[in-house]
Amino acid sequence: MNRIRRHTHLNTLLFFTIISIGILILISSLLMFYQTYQQVLLQNARTNSQRTISQVSNTVNGYLEEIDTVMEILLASLKEDPDARESFFDVFFRIRPDVIAVSTYAPSGQMLECYSAGRIPRKDQSENLSLDLAVLSVSPEGYLSSPHVVNLFDSYYPWAVTLVRRLSEDPAAGWISLDISCSNLSDYINETGIGRRGYCFLMDRNGNMVYHPQQQLIYSSLKTENTALISGNEDGSYTADNIIYTVQTLANEQWRVVGVSFAADVISDSLVELGRLLLLAALLLLCMVFIISAILSRVLSRPIRNLEQAMQRFEQDTDHFLLVPYEKGIYEIRNLYDSFQHMTQRVKELMQTVREEENNLRRTELKALQAQINPHFLYNTLDSISWMCEQGKNEEAVQMVTALARLFRISISRGHELIPIRNELEHARSYLQIQSVRYQDQFTYTFDVDEECLDYLCNKITLQPLIENSLYHGLNGLVDDGEIRICVRSEGDQILMSVADNGSGMSEEQIRFVMSKDPGESKGIGLRNVSDRLRIFFGNQYTVTIRSIPDKGTTVTVHLPKILEETDYEATN
Amino acid sequence: MKPRINRISFLLFLLTGLLLFLSACGMRRPDSNQYKVFLIAKSTQTEFWKSVFAGANAAKTEYNMDLHILGPETEEDYEGQNALIQQAVKEGADAIVFSAISYTNNAPSIDEAARSGVKVIVIDSDVDSSLVSARIGTDNIQAGRMTASAVLEVCPDPMIVGIVNFAQVSKNGEEREKGLREELEKDPRTGKLLTINVITGQEEALQETIRFLQEHPEINTLVALNEPLAVGAALAVDDLDLSDSVRLVAFDSNPICIDKMREGVVSALIVQNPFAMGYLGVEAAWKLLEGQTFNPDRLIDTSTTIITPETMFTEEGQKALFFFQ
Repeated sequence: MNRIRRHTHLNTLLFFTIISIGILILISSLLMFYQTYQQVLLQNARTNSQRTISQVSNTVNGYLEEIDTVMEILLASLKEDPDARESFFDVFFRIRPDVIAVSTYAPSGQMLECYSAGRIPRKDQSENLSLDLAVLSVSPEGYLSSPHVVNLFDSYYPWAVTLVRRLSEDPAAGWISLDISCSNLSDYINETGIGRRGYCFLMDRNGNMVYHPQQQLIYSSLKTENTALISGNEDGSYTADNIIYTVQTLANEQWRVVGVSFAADVISDSLVELGRLLLLAALLLLCMVFIISAILSRVLSRPIRNLEQAMQRFEQDTDHFLLVPYEKGIYEIRNLYDSFQHMTQRVKELMQTVREEENNLRRTELKALQAQINPHFLYNTLDSISWMCEQGKNEEAVQMVTALARLFRISISRGHELIPIRNELEHARSYLQIQSVRYQDQFTYTFDVDEECLDYLCNKITLQPLIENSLYHGLNGLVDDGEIRICVRSEGDQILMSVADNGSGMSEEQIRFVMSKDPGESKGIGLRNVSDRLRIFFGNQYTVTIRSIPDKGTTVTVHLPKILEETDYEATN
Repeated sequence: MKPRINRISFLLFLLTGLLLFLSACGMRRPDSNQYKVFLIAKSTQTEFWKSVFAGANAAKTEYNMDLHILGPETEEDYEGQNALIQQAVKEGADAIVFSAISYTNNAPSIDEAARSGVKVIVIDSDVDSSLVSARIGTDNIQAGRMTASAVLEVCPDPMIVGIVNFAQVSKNGEEREKGLREELEKDPRTGKLLTINVITGQEEALQETIRFLQEHPEINTLVALNEPLAVGAALAVDDLDLSDSVRLVAFDSNPICIDKMREGVVSALIVQNPFAMGYLGVEAAWKLLEGQTFNPDRLIDTSTTIITPETMFTEEGQKALFFFQ
């Protein structure tokens, strides 16, 4: 488990890949969206501001027109009977509570009359702020003042704007001034908001403040407006220091309405909105990733993981491994499962086969060895030797003993199964030597060996059983001299070793019987043993063939691969 | 392996949820969460204080706060102010914008309020407390010096100065007189400096000043150090018909004083900026409650202007003298 933990898991990989790709797409699309959104918002803010300012200008224009109308009425009434004036002004001030005072002046600027709502003007009017002769010298037809303090009265100093006009068409006539409180104007301006914090104010052409919603803050130097910048510009909308200024000049050409709105408001609001959107999208993405990873885990990573675990189990305990079949899910994974299942079955079969063959080999080898130590053979041989000794045939006895010793040495061959053909021939020769002594030269034997084959390997005790068969079955009933011919030759990539006799031969049936006879049933080791060992070692194509003609003889041929090293045989398999 | 992934995912999920929640919370401040601010003034009657309230209301509107304006019966009633402080704390004030009648006698109440977690901002006149968070107002010593310079502009030689100061031990009056005396004593024309302390009220000031001028007929220069005193002194000089022989320099911009200035009774007015005090005081309360800090040992000086009959109707003079409504 530790070994697995250190590695990246498929599930984790999928999870984080989906998350990072999702977030990347999300952020980039939101950023792009934000860029365009911001532009649109700014444009919207400007349009909004312009619309608002145009409304305010209309209202203020209307207000100024209204004052002009009031002035017309005043001028008309002043031309009428002076006796009716008292009652006229009585009504007038009641209708227009925003009018502070109406004053008339001689052409010199000397105050003639002053009417107000119940207030008595001061006697000394030397510094009257309601009539500015300096301005009149520039515009003799009259003017609209900026806000100023009305100082016509005692202990009452309201702020007002003053409209000044000539009393009549006559250029030598005096003037009339109308002091109007800023309250109506301030109502319009104060109520106008642009965006969250935006507002508007009135200024004159020179950038002097006329009315500001926070006029007193400006008078107290707690707030400033960048009027210098605005007065230098034409009407329109422009941005400075993240503030959108919208300017429109009023119909009187004197005052301008300025709208102030904050781009930062628009942007920060949209940023907050965007942030909320981003979070929502991230949350949705997360949910989606959960679902997707759950699905992927079900259809992809879980089966793969199961497969991986199955492989581990297979690795640890092949014999008892049983794969749970996987029937639904993705085609590829199902295929993988099937292939794995086939593979495990095949491996199990193969292992079974190998194990069985190993057992067989061990058994047949043992049989071959047991056959060598066949007690009858040993007794007979030893009898022969003892008989020779008695007869004084010491020379022959020595030969016999030597042959027997060689026979056994080669049989054992230090446990090797494969021995050089040279040795195998030596073994066969020793055996024949012993047997020919025993059978009193009833048969002859010849060797026909291709010299170049001598170094190749063959299974030990291959020729001896065949010779034994020829002696006991082929030549046994023969009156004439039997003949055994042992032949070794190379043919293509094979080596053929054959034992031929001129004995009684076998019928087809006999051949089949001999080939199929279970090695366990016979005393000797027989053909079956030889052919089994050949097959186990070199494969099915290497075998023993029998060619036999009844009453003529039998030839048994062993087919061998050309092998020089004992380990080479595995390669041929 | 699977439980681990689930745990990570679960944590991520929680984290995102938390973020969403927090951001949703941070995005809007409910209106019910307004800061509750009390402005406790020295008076609710004078033009000066009306201006302060106008400034405070402007800031209240701008910063969307719950502002309560309170003041005692008279400008001597520090006990009334202490009671108002306790009332404000009881009503759950987040901040108190305070102007002390008494430098010393208001201190314990202010300390107590500050200790209970209320931010205290002092405007106009100071209180002897180390727990005040910000101080805003006129630099009174400087205002005293300005008064001296205005006096020296108009005074005859030699001059005998009568100072009409408040009766209550107030830091404002003390400092103004200190600055005034310092400057005047430097000038060779200064003969004598006399002071009377008068209860801060128009009527009292009028009577006391008349008595003062009658007791000391040698006085040719009169200085009144706050608005009610200024009105009283101006009326006294007018009543005694001494406007030709006595120069009057007075504080603040009461309309009566302005009238008297136009009539030639008042030679100069030292005009403070009460609107700014009110506005900045309440604004400071908001800033403090939002986590900003001020140095309470450094006064935030609101501007002070000298207005003379020549400058009173200039553009700047109008702005300084007359409140825009």
